[in-house]
Amino acid sequence: MLIALREVQIPLLAVMLLGACAAKSWRALRSRSVAAGLGSRSVSASMGPTGLFSLRMRRPAMVVMFVTELSLGLGLIGTAGRIGGAATNLPATVVRAGTALFFLVAVGALNEVRQRRPDSGCGCFGELSDTPVGLRTIARSGLLCASAVATIGLPPLRMPSSPAEAELWLAVLAFELALIAFLSPELGEILVRLGYSEPCELRRLPLSRTMSALHASAQWRKYESQVAAATPADLWREGCWRFAVYPGIVRGRRVDIVFAIYLQARRPAVRAAVIDADTDEVLAPVGTLESAVI
Amino acid sequence: MLYTVTGRILDVSPHILVLHTDRGEQRFPLTAAAQAWRGGSISPAALRQGDHAVVRRKLPGGPVVDRIWAQVGRVTGTIIERAGPASLLVDEGPAKGRRIVMIGPEATGRIQVRFPRLAPGYLIDVIGLKHDGFLQALIPATSQPPYRAGHQPAPPMVSGHVPDPVNGTAVWHEPGEEPEDLLGLAYPALDPETSCERGAASAPAAGSGDQHAVDPHTTGPGCVRLPYLSVGSLLRLRNDCTERTRLLPVTSCGATARLFCDRCVTCGTSRKGRIADLTMAAFVELGGALEVGCFNATMTIGG
Repeated sequence: MLIALREVQIPLLAVMLLGACAAKSWRALRSRSVAAGLGSRSVSASMGPTGLFSLRMRRPAMVVMFVTELSLGLGLIGTAGRIGGAATNLPATVVRAGTALFFLVAVGALNEVRQRRPDSGCGCFGELSDTPVGLRTIARSGLLCASAVATIGLPPLRMPSSPAEAELWLAVLAFELALIAFLSPELGEILVRLGYSEPCELRRLPLSRTMSALHASAQWRKYESQVAAATPADLWREGCWRFAVYPGIVRGRRVDIVFAIYLQARRPAVRAAVIDADTDEVLAPVGTLESAVI
Repeated sequence: MLYTVTGRILDVSPHILVLHTDRGEQRFPLTAAAQAWRGGSISPAALRQGDHAVVRRKLPGGPVVDRIWAQVGRVTGTIIERAGPASLLVDEGPAKGRRIVMIGPEATGRIQVRFPRLAPGYLIDVIGLKHDGFLQALIPATSQPPYRAGHQPAPPMVSGHVPDPVNGTAVWHEPGEEPEDLLGLAYPALDPETSCERGAASAPAAGSGDQHAVDPHTTGPGCVRLPYLSVGSLLRLRNDCTERTRLLPVTSCGATARLFCDRCVTCGTSRKGRIADLTMAAFVELGGALEVGCFNATMTIGG
């Protein structure tokens, strides 16, 4: 049991470290804030311990942290087998001791962030880590530090020798993952993002998609013969709807044919109304706009 | 307009103000308690002929005036150049261009308390006296955000629909190309496909200072989630401090307001973020004091 517990730590620690690198890279790619390293609040909220440094030093500190995590993550994987195993124990021991030291320093740094910048997140997993540092985050670093200590002196990793041993490994892994999830404020953020659907009022949909949807609609086919211009005379948006006005002529009267297109990517609702261009009298409403959410 | 009159001062005495407005020459009796602002509180009689004035009536539609602001101006944007201790070049966004701000020694302390980083790349929002070609900054209109321009915090995610009404800060801007007596507002979230972002994207790049200039259309939605609207959309805006409400049209692009994640503390502390950038006439019409710079506001889409 104890051996199984020790053996699952290496892949777990490697995944945590490389995952943190990937999340930080993603954030750096998404916003130029990290690259600029100019100390914006948005950055400092998620850059965690690097926020303790002066503005000038934040970017180098962030780069050092990224490189350290990447090196340790790759090092843990590289030395997990026979290369760093029992025969030549030194590389594995150095990497694992380095990992333990890294998480020990993280415990101290996070505690400092909690005291000095209580509004800052830990930045461990990029923009997912905007929640202010709490005891849970510090405890997670402490747990990972203990995990790294437990791997020092471990022989090379091997496949489980029996189904019972594999089940034990999986059970230990599941328990530890659950414990880490409990200690991770990022989990709530991930769940929110997975279930998040942008409100239609905030949806950015290209105008070409709206016009394509309009031209494919039954309402367009119904009024197409009355439309007197190839392009709309006016186009505007109100929350979830985009409106297009075309000049037209109906039985000799100048009219405005107003189309309302709901802002969704597939099969949007399209409604139309015909309005006298001179008197603004509604001549032919088709459907109603009462249900329009604006 | 019920409360507001704009025009050029033709003559002023302790009891009468004569303005040249778009209706021609108009005379307004002044109350004994009438206050005037021209770089600071002064007696109405101390106003100067030729000054541009925004005037607030005591009662809606009535002839009597109780507040006058003369030559008041405002610059809101990103500092892109600093020449010496007192001269700044400020980028107000693609729609408004660049302005020169001079900070006199009498105002330096007051402004630097609220704007400690008067350096390129940081935001500024100051109120002062308009002169030919520059603004003499006298009053900080807000506290400087702690981040550089364009690095404002992301807004919280919204599930379902965007809240309606929305609370936040309402500010004002100078007319620029708009008519001086226009009642309307610059809205921070115009539809990027049909409104100002479309024009901004195709605008040619400007010259010096560009490394610090920030196009607010490219920096995210700001710290308030507002539904996309278009020029001409109607909004019902309420001044929470005076409890005065008006139905106002969106008249221009207010993307620069997205850069500021600040709060207004005119009456209590508002929610973070600017929801409307009003014309001067609309700001005064809703009971705002131009030298204060903001009021706590509630906005309902569609009225």
